[in-house]
Amino acid sequence: MANIELKNVTKSFGDVEVIPPLNIEIEDGEFVVLVGPSGCGKTTTLRMIAGLETTTSGAVSIGGRDVTDLRPGLRNCAMVFQSYALYPHMTVSENIGYGMKVRGVEKSKAKAAIADAAAILNLEDYLNRKPAALSGGQRQRVAIGRALVRDPEVFLFDEPLSNLDAKLRIEMRTEIKQLHRRLKTTIVYVTHDQVEAMTMADRVVVMRGGVIEQAADPITLYERPRNVFVASFIGAPSMNLLHGELRQAAGGLVFAGNEGSEVPVPADRVEALSGVLGEKMILGIRPEHTGEDATLGPRVTVKVIEIEPLGPHTLVIGMVGQEKFVAQVSSATALQPDDVVEIFLDAGKMHFFRDSNGEAVR
Amino acid sequence: MSVRDLRGAKRYWVFGACLFWLLLTLFPLYWVAITSFKRPVDVVGGPTYLPFIDFQPTMTAWIELFSGIRGEFFSNFWSSAIVATSASVIATLLGAMAAYALVRFPFKVRLLSGVAFFVVAMGGFLLGRDILGFNPVTASIIAFCIALALSVFVNRYRLPGPVLGNDDVVFWFVSQRLFPPIVVAFALFLLYTEMGKMGFKMTDTYFGLTLAYVAFSLPIVIWLMRDFFAGLPVDVEEAALVDNVPSWRIFFGIVLPMSKPGLIATFVITLAFVWNEFLFALFLTNSRWQTLPILVAGQNSQRGDEWWSISAAALVAIIPMVIIAGFLGRMMRSGLLRGAVK
Repeated sequence: MANIELKNVTKSFGDVEVIPPLNIEIEDGEFVVLVGPSGCGKTTTLRMIAGLETTTSGAVSIGGRDVTDLRPGLRNCAMVFQSYALYPHMTVSENIGYGMKVRGVEKSKAKAAIADAAAILNLEDYLNRKPAALSGGQRQRVAIGRALVRDPEVFLFDEPLSNLDAKLRIEMRTEIKQLHRRLKTTIVYVTHDQVEAMTMADRVVVMRGGVIEQAADPITLYERPRNVFVASFIGAPSMNLLHGELRQAAGGLVFAGNEGSEVPVPADRVEALSGVLGEKMILGIRPEHTGEDATLGPRVTVKVIEIEPLGPHTLVIGMVGQEKFVAQVSSATALQPDDVVEIFLDAGKMHFFRDSNGEAVR
Repeated sequence: MSVRDLRGAKRYWVFGACLFWLLLTLFPLYWVAITSFKRPVDVVGGPTYLPFIDFQPTMTAWIELFSGIRGEFFSNFWSSAIVATSASVIATLLGAMAAYALVRFPFKVRLLSGVAFFVVAMGGFLLGRDILGFNPVTASIIAFCIALALSVFVNRYRLPGPVLGNDDVVFWFVSQRLFPPIVVAFALFLLYTEMGKMGFKMTDTYFGLTLAYVAFSLPIVIWLMRDFFAGLPVDVEEAALVDNVPSWRIFFGIVLPMSKPGLIATFVITLAFVWNEFLFALFLTNSRWQTLPILVAGQNSQRGDEWWSISAAALVAIIPMVIIAGFLGRMMRSGLLRGAVK
């Protein structure tokens, strides 16, 4: 049980600074997911917490203890790797128990701990198998088991589900989440998959270029993204972004899209947005907040390129002028490619971002 | 494309070519084998090919070989076996350690500190011997220690000039195999006789010969094992690091077992090299620790062209290696890493 604190941590490889000064505080028992596109520094950050990567400057503390210069083994973390990183010449139970064997834990105690972990992870039938004889999901469970018996202060997961197929990934997602619910140990989890981040985390840290773009609980990230990057990174399919500017019109403010559409700004947003009148802006609207339902509000004209039926609903991939636009319509839609259709936007769910720096205006 | 895809005449051509090559490689072995069972008259009286038809086999050459009238056969065999095995084991173990360090840890050697070492070691030796009047050995030991300490110390500072990395270190190791062995053999012989004069008998001793072989095998071991270790997934070692497994235990408990095929291949190559080595054995031994290649070569010079006995001795030198390669070859199979990652 421990909190984690990164204070002004930086990391450079040679002359390249991959992490500019970074500050994160992770509370005791929190499940934090670091998410971002590849190369955003999330894995480097995790490895710095684990001690597998040294910090160039700054301080890392775990449970109030400064561990910046401590070697990995002394930080009391357990780590699960994307590649599982099992010891191939040992059986499952030897894999799980190796750390205890090295630490000189009593044999009976170690045996009990292994049995315990195996029971939690449904590995009892495989204890005498070598990793080569296991499936991907089982291997990952062994890796988690190895972390469990460590009884660490912090669990670190480095994209643990990336090598599993889609179905197994969803199952393991739930298992890890339940594990956290049961153990209540601090977890730092790295993934590039925003769905994984949203579904598992207490708090999601969205990173880009070594910088934290936004750190918040999943719903806040979804509903109140701080900037265009977070808005388009969180949510699938990702948010539609239309470029244009805010103008004063007869009935109030309108967003005049570059492609010619005019979207009136809802009355409750006028006050916040009047400050950016005349500036280049980006209008953001998620596909799930659009539709063919005329009662929704403002409309844009979409030229349909492709139809993607998903079952519960259908996605319309199209263009608004020169900008890509995805709308979510009822699965009963009769739309065909090359149709030109009016798509309505849920005015209450629109986001406005400054074009200059991508910051949301609220 | 595989040979199995070939059809018709092409297939027979390939088959014929392979067969020809097989015969070409097997014939010398066959020839040695039958010659060792021939009587002198069957050898000198023109070629004979088939036992029992062309000539009547006899055990004479073998009986002579084992009875010891043609040199200390058993003694030579055992010195070969003992020296080859121990030198290969030691070289493989030491070389694996060095190779692992070269793969996993970055080394930085400033060229200038290397130059400093050389200058101080040589200069110190000359100074000690010629001016201060130490005996050569004392002078060289003192100069070496001072030079080593100095260069390690100097290496910590930002000296101008190039910085050598791991690849340079490996090249330096391998480069020791680039110059002719005879150069080393002479130097080693001189060194060993000098040491002998001081009371450390090195020539014709187990220790001296093994040491020379270990030193001469290390470059190849390091080179082979480095490639092998570089192919190991670093994640597995990192997992152990996070689990607080000490470095030596990671090496012996995880890295070495994962590299078993590579270790065995390297061991066999080293063993074959040491087993067949002639030059060092010729220079550094004379009676007690003489090895088999010396015995085989000696057959000709001691008794003239007695091909039957030379053949028997040659076979004895070949067979153990064939057996060992056959045994260990099965253990060289890959696939040991399966299940570690992905």
